[in-house]
Amino acid sequence: MKEITVAFLLNGKKTTVTSLPNRTLLDVLRTDLGLTGAKDACGGEGECGACTVIQNGKPVNSCMIFIGQVEGTQITTIEGMMEKGEYHPLQKSFVEAGAVQCGFCTPGAILTAKALLEENPHPTDQEIREGLSGNLCRCTGYNKMIDAIHLAEERGGDD
Amino acid sequence: MTDQFHTVGKSLTRKDAWDKTTGKALYTADIPVENVRVGYLVRSPHHYARILEIDKERSLEIPGVLAVLSSDDIPGAKEFGPLIPDQPSLAMDVVRHLGEPVVLIIAETKQAAEKAASQIRVVYDPLEPVFDPVQAARDDSTPLHESGNVITLLNICDGDIEKGFQEADHILEDTYTLPRIHPGYMELETSLAVWGEGQTVTVWVSSQHPFTDQGFIAAALDLPVENVRVKSGVIGGAFGGKEDSSLSILAALGAWAIKGAVRLVNNRRESFLAHPKRHPAQIHYKLGARKDGIFTALQTEVHMDTGAYASYGPAVAAILTETLAGSYRIPNVQVETSVVYTNSPLSGAMRGFGSPQSHFAVESMVDSMAQEIGMDPVQIRRANIIKVGEKMFTGVILNESASALPICLDNAREVIDRFQAIEVSPGKKAGVGMALAAQTMGLGANVPDDSSHRLEWAPDGKVLIHLGAPDLGQGLAMAVEQITAEALGLPYGQVESLPLDTLDRPNGNTTCASRMTYMAGNALIDASDKLIQDLLSRAGEILEVPANKLVYKEGQIIKEDGSSLPVVEFLGRLAEESITLTSESTFSFPYPEETTPQHLPIGMPHVLYCFGAQVARVEVDPDLGTVEVTHFAAIHDVGKVISRSGVEGQIEGGVATGLGYALYETMLKKDDQWVDSFTEYLLPTSKDLPNHYESIILEVPEASGPYGAKGIGEIPLVPTAPAVANAVNDAVGVRVTKLPITPERILGL
Amino acid sequence: MQEFIYHRPVTITELKESLCEPGARILAGGTDIVPRMRQGRFSSSILVDTSGVDSMRFIEDQGNEIVLGALTTHQEAAESALLKNINPALVTAAESIGCQQTRCRGTLGGNIANASPAADTLPPLLIFDATLLLQSLGGERRILLEKFILGPGKTDLQEGEFIHSISFKPMFGSWGSAFIKVGKRSGMAVSVVNAAVAVELNDKEEISDIRIALGSVAPTVIRCRKVEQSLIGKVPVPELIKEIHEACQEEISPITDIRSSEEYRDHAAAVIIHRALESAVEQAIGRGR
Repeated sequence: MKEITVAFLLNGKKTTVTSLPNRTLLDVLRTDLGLTGAKDACGGEGECGACTVIQNGKPVNSCMIFIGQVEGTQITTIEGMMEKGEYHPLQKSFVEAGAVQCGFCTPGAILTAKALLEENPHPTDQEIREGLSGNLCRCTGYNKMIDAIHLAEERGGDD
Repeated sequence: MTDQFHTVGKSLTRKDAWDKTTGKALYTADIPVENVRVGYLVRSPHHYARILEIDKERSLEIPGVLAVLSSDDIPGAKEFGPLIPDQPSLAMDVVRHLGEPVVLIIAETKQAAEKAASQIRVVYDPLEPVFDPVQAARDDSTPLHESGNVITLLNICDGDIEKGFQEADHILEDTYTLPRIHPGYMELETSLAVWGEGQTVTVWVSSQHPFTDQGFIAAALDLPVENVRVKSGVIGGAFGGKEDSSLSILAALGAWAIKGAVRLVNNRRESFLAHPKRHPAQIHYKLGARKDGIFTALQTEVHMDTGAYASYGPAVAAILTETLAGSYRIPNVQVETSVVYTNSPLSGAMRGFGSPQSHFAVESMVDSMAQEIGMDPVQIRRANIIKVGEKMFTGVILNESASALPICLDNAREVIDRFQAIEVSPGKKAGVGMALAAQTMGLGANVPDDSSHRLEWAPDGKVLIHLGAPDLGQGLAMAVEQITAEALGLPYGQVESLPLDTLDRPNGNTTCASRMTYMAGNALIDASDKLIQDLLSRAGEILEVPANKLVYKEGQIIKEDGSSLPVVEFLGRLAEESITLTSESTFSFPYPEETTPQHLPIGMPHVLYCFGAQVARVEVDPDLGTVEVTHFAAIHDVGKVISRSGVEGQIEGGVATGLGYALYETMLKKDDQWVDSFTEYLLPTSKDLPNHYESIILEVPEASGPYGAKGIGEIPLVPTAPAVANAVNDAVGVRVTKLPITPERILGL
Repeated sequence: MQEFIYHRPVTITELKESLCEPGARILAGGTDIVPRMRQGRFSSSILVDTSGVDSMRFIEDQGNEIVLGALTTHQEAAESALLKNINPALVTAAESIGCQQTRCRGTLGGNIANASPAADTLPPLLIFDATLLLQSLGGERRILLEKFILGPGKTDLQEGEFIHSISFKPMFGSWGSAFIKVGKRSGMAVSVVNAAVAVELNDKEEISDIRIALGSVAPTVIRCRKVEQSLIGKVPVPELIKEIHEACQEEISPITDIRSSEEYRDHAAAVIIHRALESAVEQAIGRGR
């Protein structure tokens, strides 16, 4: 199996990786790039959202994307949420609203929320529930995540 | 009345939350270590089989493979177990469940390990498995362990059961069936072990009991305990399922074998097959009541399937059994509970620990009895709830905490009335149901339960909590920081809890049983006291003044003349002399002689209870049988709120888990395989939970608790399933006695 | 994870060429293929990644026909105002699949090629008699979607072929279409049974044309033509559900599996056909005015 070279934008920076093509974006992020914010909680079946990253503005499960499929796209991971050393409004609101318990699902949920607010700056509770339905959480029951997203939205949501 | 506390009771932010929002928080799978090798387990494809031969030869030839280990290679104890040491770290002569670990491969990469795994030849002689605990308990059933299949048989009586049923005007009997469910933590089981100089090993764990892990690892590697250092990574949820040392032992074994670093990370399938679940149970429940609603008799027979290994089975049986009468006074009781080995995946600790099972039975039956007699469900409960100073059937005399029960009912009444007034969606049938809950705290009488913790006052003024028990993600660190800050009169920001490291750390015991905030909190209040006394004594020496002429208040030492000096000054002086101000305290879970009966087996009874109630409003589609929980209220007495956002979070998360138990979760067996992924095992998503949700938090101070606080970790998922079952019955007149409550079961299809 | 040779064409010509190699299979969104490869339930020595073939992502009104590029994602279909107008059942179905993350990657073509009996987008396409345009280096052919699906996970896709686009003709007059799905939970819901109904009413508000497709009640998604026949000329009333249920008996063969029972599926199929019909009729009456 021949290695491939993939060029893409990662958290705003031009990035090139060389990898065997049968590796997923999740694996490359965690192992090759040291970005361990994206997690594996369901064994790569796309059932939990803990591996969520944003690709061209859309939330996607990085465990189900072969690395070649990232070519020419823009990828945002949780490590790319802060700007100029400042916490993103969603990072702040998740903390302040008490939406972070064990935190394992948190990076994925925040990225999904970011994409959601960028498409829909004033979502209803139901729209938030719909948007978050691909991010499983066993600790919080999701209520405080919804509060956090509304809090961020009130403060001017996205960047 | 204003709250006189300056930190306790407030909603503050967790210090560990920031790193969790940036990806900086390091869970055990994330911790960067040089040259870390991959640990990979070859697991049994059979439910039950003898192992005739393990041929590793060809696998060892695969490039990148460093070690291939089986049970024979384990230098020390080959089996472990929290109550009964019956669980092999690697299978010995027999495999007892599908997915049991047989061979551990250590390789440079996962690819190499997978190749090696395909080259391992294990010759099995398959045996006939048994999955039904009733069948496995029979004399003619093959014993899965030398001791036989029945591990525990509890039989507890109180009063006169025959007389009790004779006095009853109504007798109802039913069988409640509880499924096997998964704790569902998002962070999979992981362990990282690094071999060190002088026969030492450091092991990172995602575990509720690092000190227990330390002991088991030492035993398996035949090392002195001091040679094993266990560190807690950030933990991504536990819910009971991480009271399990299997991966930490194997990671350490791998590190020992290659004298290097090894990391094992489970996938979700391995988690389902080989790690602790909630015990499935069949509860035959017979209740007698007078026509005025007063309960006269209770008789139950419970069969619990603990699967291939005992894990915490006997202890779960204890709490299940003790809570079979729920929150009620029943003068004549006869309960029998058996815990049985089968070839199912093992069951062990899971949040609630037997109480969710028993409460599904008792709270469903109480509603059925109310219906039978024609009594209101709140009324029948009011007539029977146990009062302060009264005895449970176990002989435990309930303390002031029982005064929460009528308050719970008052609140439930108010919520029920509100929920019943809500307009029903077109085409649906609405129902409202409630359930009460009584959850135990602690490990049970005569089980040693000490929790030790240390405080250190650093020269910069920061107080460091050397916490002896791990924060599982629930916010234990925040709670103990608030308690310590309160006790020392310091700002919350000045107190910090350190991640657990067994090296030079007192043993705080396992974080479980709804008790760690209570235990650690009490220990730390005492340690704070001691710290202050030590400080005053040393300050007195420095100032050449008797210590009793000095007063400590909020970070200041106040002299007799009213002038004050900041504590940091003294800490600085002491630091110059290499003196660190520390204090340590141990809290033992109290079992007051006057109220703790001694006639029951070890681990029984539990004497401190939390109480709560929950109310569910459902809308059922009468043609499709689908259930939507539209409104939900959780009413819980916590004694004293330490961390408001923490308590709310525990309740909300617990209710979500309870709703999963009620409506979606079950680990079925399909063909010859178990449900082993989130595709078929359905956790509630954000769309499956009610948008209208309320927590009503009560504070009936617990005299023995830190600032009056009690536990909240488990009870929020205890009354949920019966509340939903009762609501469904109210909506469509169908009593579902098997969880989960599915459309098929509602429609009888 | 299985090893494979990886190709990444960016034009349709390159795509055709890549697929010429024996055993080459398309990788579209990856939401089915990647997990199944990891589990060993799918294998291919050559994977042709279509992520770069932008020209196959489109939703077009070509006058007489609506044409959907095979690489259109479910999210794109769900958000399409055009589709909401022309085939609301398809929009409802696309919205109901999985979650945001999988909808943003999963494609219409991929879902068809996967040919699951529980696939949600298939019934709304079947009720509109959708056809597929299959292309290869050797040429192209059209095939009815109904004929393309051969069995669970089996299609008529030949070596070297790929689905280019899906097309169907809009309905006119007093028409409506609806999709209903029963899942085991609301979020990330796999269908226990699903139904799509399209109906056309005449001036007397009787059913003049009706198409019904069901999923999860047979080895493939099916058109229920016997049920359709039994409803022609009828006035849609609540009592029709009995007839629907009876007529279904001859066409559906639900099974008991990990998700549900044969009896429940049998019962629920009739319920949701009836409800989808009611919803479609309401639309039809609205359009008729």
